[in-house]
Amino acid sequence: MAQQTSTAAAGVAAAKGGREVKVIGILCNWCSYAGADGAGTARLQQPLNLRIVRVPCTGRVDPLMVLKAFEKGADGVLISGCHPGDCHYSEGNYYARRKFELLDRLIPHLGIEPERFRYTWVSASEAGRWQQVVTEFVNQVKALGPREGRAL
Amino acid sequence: MSDDRQARIRELAQAALAEGRVDYVIGWKYGYNTSEVVPAFVRDAAEVDQLVWNPLAHHNLTTFLKRKMPDPPGARIGVCVKGCDSRTLVALLQEELVDKSRLYVIGVPCDGMIDRRRLEKEFADEIVDISFVGYTVTATTRSGEAREFLKEDILYEHCRACNYPNPRYADDLAADTVPEPDDPGRMWATLDEFEALSTAEKDAKLAEVFATCIRCFACIHACPVCYCWDQCVNRAAKPQLVSQKVETKANLMFQMVHMFHVAGRCPSCGACDRACPAEIPLYLLHRKMNKELYDMLGFQAGMSLDEKPVFQTFKIDDALGE
Repeated sequence: MAQQTSTAAAGVAAAKGGREVKVIGILCNWCSYAGADGAGTARLQQPLNLRIVRVPCTGRVDPLMVLKAFEKGADGVLISGCHPGDCHYSEGNYYARRKFELLDRLIPHLGIEPERFRYTWVSASEAGRWQQVVTEFVNQVKALGPREGRAL
Repeated sequence: MSDDRQARIRELAQAALAEGRVDYVIGWKYGYNTSEVVPAFVRDAAEVDQLVWNPLAHHNLTTFLKRKMPDPPGARIGVCVKGCDSRTLVALLQEELVDKSRLYVIGVPCDGMIDRRRLEKEFADEIVDISFVGYTVTATTRSGEAREFLKEDILYEHCRACNYPNPRYADDLAADTVPEPDDPGRMWATLDEFEALSTAEKDAKLAEVFATCIRCFACIHACPVCYCWDQCVNRAAKPQLVSQKVETKANLMFQMVHMFHVAGRCPSCGACDRACPAEIPLYLLHRKMNKELYDMLGFQAGMSLDEKPVFQTFKIDDALGE
């Protein structure tokens, strides 16, 4: 049995603090979701802690969605969309970028470790980059462990 | 000095009402007694003498414009604004939520408002009169006890850190402009203590502070730039973003909603802090947001009519993110 355990599951079991960390990924349909899909098709190893929410565009993402995820018990939130300039709707991520930057700066002020939130850009063809981003992010959340009994 | 402004406000209001340029003027008047000032709606030129101006006139009167403007339809409204009020008015005008052509704005250069709540705590009895001579404030209670305070000592925090005491937008000014410090950094200094805390300490502090919120919604009602009213996501059952439970988490989430929804329009006028019956330091959130917006984009809300609110526009070369 032990030999059948995949390396990913072994990584998950090593998480700190008793339970697995839950990470929410908010991905834009056109780039990052396709990129993550591509990573799956290419059978690139990815952490199992990520739950993906697919949105039409990062411009649709309200910073409050991230805070709501934290309120509901997420241990980390990752937002990813098209690179600035590549938005399917031309300019959605330019608007989004300002909102996410403000959120990124406010997260530590709200008593949440800054490592628990990241926003980044991954295009549909960057399956390798997606694997790297998600592995990095999940590992840094794991290092902090689950959030328990917090104000938000 | 303040009497001059009071006389001038009355003159301007009187002229506007008598000439029929406005249907009513929103200003300040005394409440039950001379220890408190409340908003006033003056509809008759003969009644302008009830308008007052003194350091108790902290109310941000643009709040009355936000709901549906003009109210009633077709009305022309005169409104008195201080420096901070005018910035909220500019924020509303930038988004075309109020009709500029139906507005007559009396700008009042301000030299700080006093915190009546702090005075109340000094006395066991009810205050029935507060009078002002120069920089001295005299408060008298029902039992006749009178004490003097220095205005400087009992100013609101917002006023102490205020950078723009002169109206940014007004049709007529009630006095000459006062000197402006124009140094946004003064505003942020009040955050230093909180920002120095560790993440866990911040969390504990927020939990402690927001546990006392009773969700009376006074903050969002008093807020001049928070205008969704019956559409407010805070009170929506479907989808329910914010739980109706009165508990720390939901309270904090409720304030987050308010904070993010006024981002780019909030000039830290402090109306929410003053309205809060639980005396929650809401500036911890709003001022921090303004600080970061200023740091990110050099943006301050409501400074000029030509600007667009910061989240309704973008620059391709914004140097943000990865």
